[in-house]
Amino acid sequence: MDALVLENVSKSFGDVRAVDKLSVQVPAGSVYGFLGPNGAGKTTTIRMIMNIIRPDKGLIKIFDDGATTQNKARIGYMPEERGLYRKMKVGKVLAFFGAIKGLSASELNFRVPQWLQQVDLTGWANKKVEELSRGMHQKLQFAVTAINNPDLMILDEPFSGLDPVNQDLLKDIICRMRDEGKTILFSTHVMHEAERLCDFILLINKGKAVLDGRLDDIRSRYKSGAVSVELEGDTSFIRALPMVKTAETQGRRIEISLSEKADTQDLLKALVGRVRIKAFEVKIPSLHEIFVRLVGRPEQPVVSEVEPGRRGRDNVEDS
Amino acid sequence: MWKILKIAQREYLDVVKTKTFILSILMTPAIIGVVIFFSSRTQRSVTGPHPPRKVVVADLTNQMTDDIKDSFEQHNKSHPQRQILLQELLTDTGSDKPIKQKVRDGQLNAYFVLDKDSIEGTGKIQSFTRSTKIIDLELISNVEDLLNSAIFNRRCKLKEVSQELLAQISELRRQVLNEIIDIGSASEQKRINKGEQIAKTMASFFFMFMMFMGIFGMGQHMLTSVIEEKNSRVIEVLLSAVSPFELMAGKILGLAGISLTVMSLWSVAAIGTAYYGAAHWWKITLEFPMGILPYFVIYFILGFLLFSSILAGIGSICNTLKEAQSLMMPISFLFILPMLVWFNIAQHPDGSLARILSFLPPLTPIVMTLRLAVSQDISLLEVFASIIMLALFVPLVMWLAAKIFRTGVLMYGKRPGLREVLRWLKSA
Repeated sequence: MDALVLENVSKSFGDVRAVDKLSVQVPAGSVYGFLGPNGAGKTTTIRMIMNIIRPDKGLIKIFDDGATTQNKARIGYMPEERGLYRKMKVGKVLAFFGAIKGLSASELNFRVPQWLQQVDLTGWANKKVEELSRGMHQKLQFAVTAINNPDLMILDEPFSGLDPVNQDLLKDIICRMRDEGKTILFSTHVMHEAERLCDFILLINKGKAVLDGRLDDIRSRYKSGAVSVELEGDTSFIRALPMVKTAETQGRRIEISLSEKADTQDLLKALVGRVRIKAFEVKIPSLHEIFVRLVGRPEQPVVSEVEPGRRGRDNVEDS
Repeated sequence: MWKILKIAQREYLDVVKTKTFILSILMTPAIIGVVIFFSSRTQRSVTGPHPPRKVVVADLTNQMTDDIKDSFEQHNKSHPQRQILLQELLTDTGSDKPIKQKVRDGQLNAYFVLDKDSIEGTGKIQSFTRSTKIIDLELISNVEDLLNSAIFNRRCKLKEVSQELLAQISELRRQVLNEIIDIGSASEQKRINKGEQIAKTMASFFFMFMMFMGIFGMGQHMLTSVIEEKNSRVIEVLLSAVSPFELMAGKILGLAGISLTVMSLWSVAAIGTAYYGAAHWWKITLEFPMGILPYFVIYFILGFLLFSSILAGIGSICNTLKEAQSLMMPISFLFILPMLVWFNIAQHPDGSLARILSFLPPLTPIVMTLRLAVSQDISLLEVFASIIMLALFVPLVMWLAAKIFRTGVLMYGKRPGLREVLRWLKSA
């Protein structure tokens, strides 16, 4: 089941195409990352999902059939620009938003302290929102988004402005919610955040999907075939192995580049027994590298090559 | 409905709990009370005991010493609480420099010079004071009366007018008292005291003013609240939980609650003070036209809905309070219009102006309240017709405002023009 489906959604502001024929399927129970540089169309897409702005064309379906308006109680939304009532007390703000999201008074009595504790703001319950630091404000905003335990969380840049400790706190909560079967969609322009958290990613640039799919698949598809090993013994035979294209000694390590189609496991098997293996590292391309490879040269047409089996249609138009 | 109530509750507490609100609510009736109290005190002090005034008179006619002294004595005898002490009675002004100095120093209240030919000719009284405060003017006019009566006595003696004749003349000059009787309302005839007449006019003004404040007073809060939510982007979080209509309805409801709170507090304070003041200080009985209260409530609810939905619409398309206020100007004027012509309406509650204004929906609540408070002769038909007209107009405006609100509240950047807004109205 898909928690969210976008079909050929487009939106223009004047002459600028903010989002161009974007199609996405967000499977239920996954963590889905919208990645892309500033101005790529991430926020516009999220705002269209939230029915804040209307798409010029295309279809947005939430929980298979419904529109956003019918599923408000099941969606938690955290906008990019954080806003809460500055003069209200932290606990009161949380209770208010819980109430308008349909929680009963008894549920609120239980959940407000629970969420304050989860985002580490218990001591601040009676302070005014304006007294919070930026990071605390953001954690409160997250608690506001999650207070009614929504099935689908849509978070716009949830980690910006958080220190590493609080980023981890938020990631832990997100992972736990995923384990409970919730769907979490978030946008970020920081690739390594997505790398550590996402099951699926959508890479957007200039309003178009550049790359879309399961993160593991994308990585293996964009693997560079590079292995870094640290060995003891005579290593001169390596260069002669059939799967090895080049091998360079760099200090104690040997950087091996495999020929196409070769499997890293074959290399490992060939090494075992002949030398003592102290380290064997398959170099996984980072999202950052993939992203630079795909959009770093904007003149080239970008073609989607991800998971043709999972998806029948083209996600990306030729530019 | 639960969501609307929650939003209303938050809106209500958000305003009511602020210190400025509590102060303004408590201070306004308190200030009115203090003003009324002190004005009544000063009124009493006009009639109450005064410290004796000290004056010096120079009688240049040099033949009225006894008359003047008699005159002052008689005054002091009949007005024991407002004595005027004649400290010195000169017969020439040759050595009055130190006396004028005493007036300047405040040791004397005033110094009077009566011209030489005051008795037969056109001589004047010259009064020297330090600064003409109201209280001095009163003293001057008192002394003027005393000197004139002394001159009158002197003249009578010179013409040999007898005391009996004087008594007869004063008896002939006795004034006849006037009594106004109201026979309009019922068979029962009612004597109208001038104070009561004024009080009645003020009561009608009070009702109109309450209606005006009740409808209009919350406008600022509505604009601030919408624009603040828009600017802080709380609106996006809100609208991810409730519909724009629920949000607008909640806001209107919350502000109506504040308005009712303010009005009831002020009404209790004002009516209480007025009754107490009327009975204790002005010795009149007040009659508030309490019969109009049900109509007042109906007009208030409809008027409030009308005005606050217009404001919600305006607030939603603006990014700053300043923008909103410039848009509000023409609308404010519409609502203020009855305040400008209230006296005319109060005097002619059945006049054509009053009738026409009653059927212009934004004006209806204020104009009708005023008319009903002033006159008992407004036909029920007219009352109900105006209510129905307003009741039809209000949902129409609310519907339009809700449409503008829905789109406007999520628009940032440049304020949309009229054409843009009209497009929204057509599209959704």
